[in-house]
Amino acid sequence: MKRNLKQKIAIKGLLDMMPLNLAVLPWGILCGSLAIQRDFSVLEALLMPLVVFAGSAQLVATELVANNAPLATILFTTFIISSRHFLYGLALREKLSVLPHRWRLSIGFLLTDELFALSGHRKAFIGHYRLIYALSSGGSFYLSWLLWNIIGIFAGSYLPDLTSLGLDFAIAVTFIALVIPSISTLPIFIAVVVSGIFSVIFKLLGWQLDLVFASLIGMFAGFVSARLLPRKLVNNEQTKVSGEGIK
Amino acid sequence: MTLLTILLLAVITFTSRYLFIHPKMPIRLNAKMRELLSFSAPAVLTAIWVPIIFIQEDKLNLSLANPYLVAATAAVLVAGKTQSIYLTLIISLVVFVALRTLL
Repeated sequence: MKRNLKQKIAIKGLLDMMPLNLAVLPWGILCGSLAIQRDFSVLEALLMPLVVFAGSAQLVATELVANNAPLATILFTTFIISSRHFLYGLALREKLSVLPHRWRLSIGFLLTDELFALSGHRKAFIGHYRLIYALSSGGSFYLSWLLWNIIGIFAGSYLPDLTSLGLDFAIAVTFIALVIPSISTLPIFIAVVVSGIFSVIFKLLGWQLDLVFASLIGMFAGFVSARLLPRKLVNNEQTKVSGEGIK
Repeated sequence: MTLLTILLLAVITFTSRYLFIHPKMPIRLNAKMRELLSFSAPAVLTAIWVPIIFIQEDKLNLSLANPYLVAATAAVLVAGKTQSIYLTLIISLVVFVALRTLL
């Protein structure tokens, strides 16, 4: 009975992550095949998704390594692209820092944009079952990313470029499906609108830290409006942030 | 050499994810910080999806013939009405594919 429930929860984690697992296929293949084109050995190309496990950071770092950029440049650029994760760690600190080592280390390793997207539920990561959910959704994303990279490494030269197929729309729409239902208060709505507008502006300006800055400005806008707006416009539901998660 | 670089990259990406959930990090979040961080999920996720919709090939695309824009509008409406991930995905993907084929 208990085992049955665990299985069900693991499957739910897998299914919730599935749209994102599939949507990143073109970029996984691109990462793998780019590494090989840029003269990485098969081992090196495999280690990128295996231990670096990043999307745009992996892609940019591969190009920089291939162009013989100075090590400091490669590391600093990767640091900038990855810096949004500091925000995720901070946001989830209270829930994750109290976990036993093995849970904390594994969920920490798996804490991508995609897992963070599924972590909005008030009770995410609380209790054994929600940890299983996180591990299966985050773990399935890791394995998918690895698999797409492997396909790119070994078959990349035979495959067309799939990134123009529009699968990035699937990523966008999954995030829409997670964010929109979470807009339960006016301050959250303001945070979303402000963050959206600034993300477009900063992206057009070509800033490396576009995502981080846009998010921070959006967060401040939400925070300030929660304090300034009359109470009746701000009900106290702010902990109910995005996410299907486990109901 | 590349191998060493890759290991250093791994240290960076892992540290960025793990550092602030490490219990020994001397950080205590007060009520204000926690309130600020309660907006992080909607703000960050929005900063990821909005540019995908509005920017194509490094240019702002506000045209009604932009399939991303039209299908995303459908997604926002369906998500707001039904709160269902799968329904939102299915309907907006159908709209998106239809528009890409037609336009």
